[in-house]
Amino acid sequence: MILRWAATLVIGALLVLAAWLPDTSIGRRSSDPELRSDVPGAVGEVGGHLPDFTLPDLDGNPVTLSDLRGHRVLLTFERSVDW
Amino acid sequence: MQTSLAYRVLCGAIGIAFVAFGVAAFASFFAYHAPDSHLAIPTGPTGFYFVAFTGCAMVGWGGSLLASIRDAATSRRVGSVTAFALVLMAVVRMAGWVVGDYYAWVGDLLRGEAILFLLLALALVWLRPRPTGEPAASAPRAAGASSVGAGS
Repeated sequence: MILRWAATLVIGALLVLAAWLPDTSIGRRSSDPELRSDVPGAVGEVGGHLPDFTLPDLDGNPVTLSDLRGHRVLLTFERSVDW
Repeated sequence: MQTSLAYRVLCGAIGIAFVAFGVAAFASFFAYHAPDSHLAIPTGPTGFYFVAFTGCAMVGWGGSLLASIRDAATSRRVGSVTAFALVLMAVVRMAGWVVGDYYAWVGDLLRGEAILFLLLALALVWLRPRPTGEPAASAPRAAGASSVGAGS
């Protein structure tokens, strides 16, 4: 009987957490539509210019977007692991 | 008796669902490798390997639940470990919902599944039948415990 109540306590706590999760700081980023949506102005508009940035290439050398001005640039975002 | 019936119905429903899901997951591995296949699960060959592995395990798990219906009292631990595994599955889904990587694919389904699994685990815990012969075996101990309690 003690184990039964202990299991109920654990499951009940998880149920409360699952129901309450959207209102917690860790769950808010998943449940808040505003946070899930694109931030206006964070990236360029279609047909406009991207804000300048610098990222490392595959060899670790920094690449700045403005250095590629005048060239065609294909920018892709990929996961590093095939899940 | 009604509790036992509800427990058996619950084990049967979960068992049938697990077997059906397991067969679908098993079949999805072969469907993925068929030419021009377009499956709903966004994963690659490694992912489908584990999907098929999970499917085989779920067929065995669901089959165990269905087999436990025949004599629920002596097979009650099948329900206990199922409840434990359902809690683990709920924890994984809650973590997956928080991480947010799966939101584009399944939305809030993960949180709903977590709540469903936790409720099923709770039902398995409370509907679990007493072990066969427990009243007779525990009666002398209970009587002894009460006499000690009365004396102290």
